[in-house]
Amino acid sequence: MSRLLEIDLALSLDRFALEVAWTSDEPSIGLFGPSGAGKTSLVEALAGLRTGERGTIRVAGRTWLDTARGIRLPPERRGVGYVPQDARLFPHRTVRGNLEAGARRAARAPGRRIVLERVVEVLELGGRENDPVASLSGGERQRVALGRALLSGPDILLLDEPLAGADAALRRRLIGHLMLAQEEFAVPSLVVSHDPTEVRLLAREAIVIDRGRVAARGRPDDLFAGPSIGALAWDENYENVLHARVVAAGGATADAEIEPGLRLTVPGRGLVPGQPIAVVVRAEEIIVAVESPHGLSAQNVLPATVLERRPLTETTTGDQGVAVVTVVGRGAARVIAALTAQACERLGLVPGRPVHLVMKTHSCRVYPARAAGPAGAIAPPGLPQTAAPRQGGES
Amino acid sequence: MTPAVTALLLSLQVSVWTTGIVLPVGTLLGWLLARRRFAGRSLVETLLALPLVLPPTAIGYLMLRALALDGPLGRRTLGVDLDILFTLKGAVLAAAIMSLPLVIRTARVAFEEVDPRLEAMARTLGLGPLRTFAGVTLPLARRGLLAAALLGFTRALGEFGATIVVAGSIPGRTQTLALAIFADMQAGRDRDAMILVAITVVVAFAAMWSVEALLRRAPA
Repeated sequence: MSRLLEIDLALSLDRFALEVAWTSDEPSIGLFGPSGAGKTSLVEALAGLRTGERGTIRVAGRTWLDTARGIRLPPERRGVGYVPQDARLFPHRTVRGNLEAGARRAARAPGRRIVLERVVEVLELGGRENDPVASLSGGERQRVALGRALLSGPDILLLDEPLAGADAALRRRLIGHLMLAQEEFAVPSLVVSHDPTEVRLLAREAIVIDRGRVAARGRPDDLFAGPSIGALAWDENYENVLHARVVAAGGATADAEIEPGLRLTVPGRGLVPGQPIAVVVRAEEIIVAVESPHGLSAQNVLPATVLERRPLTETTTGDQGVAVVTVVGRGAARVIAALTAQACERLGLVPGRPVHLVMKTHSCRVYPARAAGPAGAIAPPGLPQTAAPRQGGES
Repeated sequence: MTPAVTALLLSLQVSVWTTGIVLPVGTLLGWLLARRRFAGRSLVETLLALPLVLPPTAIGYLMLRALALDGPLGRRTLGVDLDILFTLKGAVLAAAIMSLPLVIRTARVAFEEVDPRLEAMARTLGLGPLRTFAGVTLPLARRGLLAAALLGFTRALGEFGATIVVAGSIPGRTQTLALAIFADMQAGRDRDAMILVAITVVVAFAAMWSVEALLRRAPA
């Protein structure tokens, strides 16, 4: 049975050698790692834009590279939808001209046809089709680059830090566009990012690259809430990602369920009942209470149990902080709260202690999530055995 | 037809033919020098630049010897008469060799300014090398290539030294504006020479003006 992505690659870089090998059937893979870990080089090797790499690359059963057998497909015969950090739009063409740049290959590619009108709609580029690309904002440029890749009939999308140049507000909107595009067009994707939240929102499987090697791989929610890649993920401010389903919507807020009976009130504009969403909450914005709090303006109080405590190397206040890892409800999710060491001592937050997590509605950022599995069932994080069914065998 | 008009028409023929020949050749060589690394690259580069630094009469003389009856390209060697010496073809060939280095250099700079990552992007979108060249590289280099065409045209218009050796200065056959000005001057026909100079100025000005207009219409 052919796998979606099989890689066994060796490539000499300036400071170290990139040597990675993995096989995956996940429709979305997140390539995570610090700057200079070799992620972009790996993406370029996949796209066929490098020379000197050795090994094999097979995508959806087609061999793109097999140096032992002397096979090296040129980039135009590989079928990648490459979206680099800097969009790299063709300056001499309009938005439409860019979107249609790969149309010839798309017309020959088998399988579902992605139509331009739909891409323009999902990526909110309506009315800009005939504009020169010089007039686009940074976010629009990235969306045109994504649209161009989608419309080229790719077997896999390669998204190399697609949000790198964007500020926080723009990142949020672009992540939303990327998630919708993943759901709507169902093109397998490999997303490169140094941001754990992005990987958790955009990928079903995370592969951690450090100094040219695969340092860890697994389900993003497990990987980033666990200690194994600690230092890599914790340089950034940690954000929790909770998968939920909208149960009531309409108006400024919506109710979403993260497991039966466990509800969150979140900002609700544009949400519809039944819709799967991802809720992102910064670790620093979570309040931990040892007794059931009442008389709060905050709407969300979730029962949880302390799993462990870890020292935090950096907090926004500069104090030595503590990450309190908890499991919510009956195991719906791991949620990490960042507290000061002092608060942690005062409350006696030891493993096994039942607590309540308090979150303001407006501390919750909501992303319309990809459909998690064919039946739309949300794979409860923390329970890998019930993860969304894979298309092939175990990897 | 007055001699001035005849000279003008001959000059225009030579310049247009020269541009038509030199632009594709210079574009190809300019692209090779900008994008490809090959053995003997700097030797080729230097050879192609020689007409820029040698006296035009020296180039003309080398061509004359090569095309003479016994020369490597002469009738006795080839078995056929190329019929180049002292014809308009000779004037075009001389002008082409003299303007080629300028066109190559300008085209090369034009291609070097095209971001190779955009070409790589086109390849990932399924465009082969030729389509990438035609659809991305050429359009992005078009300003520089227009400038190259202008330089080729005006260099051909002004070509004198190599032309007079290879094609002579035969009124009505090979005597272009540049050659006719010199002939009138030598014969003391100052008024005629001045008229020819004025015509030359107008042609050169029109060529530059139209390229400027094209560049303005095609923003980078």
